[in-house]
Amino acid sequence: MRQEESEAIVLHHLDYNDADRIVSFFSLEQGLLKGFAHNARKSRKRFGSALELFAYVHLRWSGKASGDLVSLQDAELIDLHSGVRRDVGALALASYGCELVEALTAEAQSCPEIFHLLRAFLGHLSKAGLSLEARLLFELRLFSQLGYAPHFLHCSACNFPLDGDEVAFSANGGGGLCLECAPAALPLRVSPMTLGTLGRCLQAPVTLFEGFRFSERTLQEAGGVLQDILRQHLVRPLKSQSFMEQMLAGKARVKAIR
Amino acid sequence: MLDWKIHPSFSRLVFELGKLPGIGKKTATRLALFILRQSSGDAESLAAAIREVKERTRFCSICFHYTEQDPCQLCTDPARDSEYLCVVQEPQDLLVVERSRSFRGRYHILHGALSPLDGIGPEQLKIAELMIRLEQGSVREVLLATNFSVEGEATAHYLAGLIRPLGIRVSRLAHGIPLGSDLEYVDEATVNRAVEGRQFLTE
Ligand SMILES: [Zn+2]
Ligand SMILES: [Zn+2]
Repeated sequence: MRQEESEAIVLHHLDYNDADRIVSFFSLEQGLLKGFAHNARKSRKRFGSALELFAYVHLRWSGKASGDLVSLQDAELIDLHSGVRRDVGALALASYGCELVEALTAEAQSCPEIFHLLRAFLGHLSKAGLSLEARLLFELRLFSQLGYAPHFLHCSACNFPLDGDEVAFSANGGGGLCLECAPAALPLRVSPMTLGTLGRCLQAPVTLFEGFRFSERTLQEAGGVLQDILRQHLVRPLKSQSFMEQMLAGKARVKAIR
Repeated sequence: MLDWKIHPSFSRLVFELGKLPGIGKKTATRLALFILRQSSGDAESLAAAIREVKERTRFCSICFHYTEQDPCQLCTDPARDSEYLCVVQEPQDLLVVERSRSFRGRYHILHGALSPLDGIGPEQLKIAELMIRLEQGSVREVLLATNFSVEGEATAHYLAGLIRPLGIRVSRLAHGIPLGSDLEYVDEATVNRAVEGRQFLTE
């Protein structure tokens, strides 16, 4: 059986039998994979703490063990992202990011950009905790890497530049729409500046999370736009979403009181 | 071997036993055959024991441990110190702390840890009940004994943030090298924590 190895990030794990563990991970070389870690919970010799959630590791495995699972050989920890353990808000957003990657990427398809994005995202959360900006940048970049990025700067129907006070947005209709092209019933209305900001954010390196500040309005509108895109591609709701939104709402309340 | 198609009651027993943790189909079949060989009296008392434990056991309304009388013995024992409260994830964790004979205070069981990936938030755990207990009670120190997984640690930090404003001291289980183990075989993250949490040797 062929031996493989790659840097990887642990997205999720499930306990199996008494001592085994099934691990979903996103690898630099082969994208999303699921592996079987025999005896991982009882013996710490081969995996140590490297199969913890969100861990950035160097993994070795061999071919498909059974069904869709590769057989994990051993793992070496590179970064535990331990700041996420000290902050439940960061935990919430990190979980959401990992669940999103697992839900939207196809198995065994290499996408180094998504790996670097996820790694930088977890590193940022571990240091800086959760923020609406981090969520927004992560979603936007992930969608763009997956080829879901819509038209932000031009009307998706008539191709005219989007300007004025208000435009419509429909992920289903291809993105931003000028008011002449948008059906009257389309509920999502945003400022063209918000779409412009989203478009500009895509120019920045995927690993850069520091130094972004958006206005309250941009955050709110961009959140609606990204959720609209997400709804197009998600088969079932994410388990971590409502918890994360509670945490973000709690943080917004604290900010408002101060 | 019995053919399950012509022995539906036997296959039902194998199926039910197979739901137990760590029991595969092979072991379940072996256990079912053992029960079949037992006297009716033995088999009946096993069934009665299962029924009785389910009927009589519930959660203690104070600490949420399993009990047959509410409040439980741990909550009513006058010899235990009500100024110390140990918070654990699961009933089996309480048993582990008790077995260590190191803690003589009282307990609170959360019945899980915060876990966004499993859709478990604060409302799914006995956190509101813990806070009410702390606001009413005489507790001076809370020992957070949740697991050292990502979820357990984040839960401990979350609880610490809620408890500290009440003026109650919050402590956490120490984390480090297992007793009796060689440093050589301990993983990097654990050694890292052990170095961070090092203690000065005093006379
Ligand atoms: Zn148009
Ligand atoms: Zn009790």
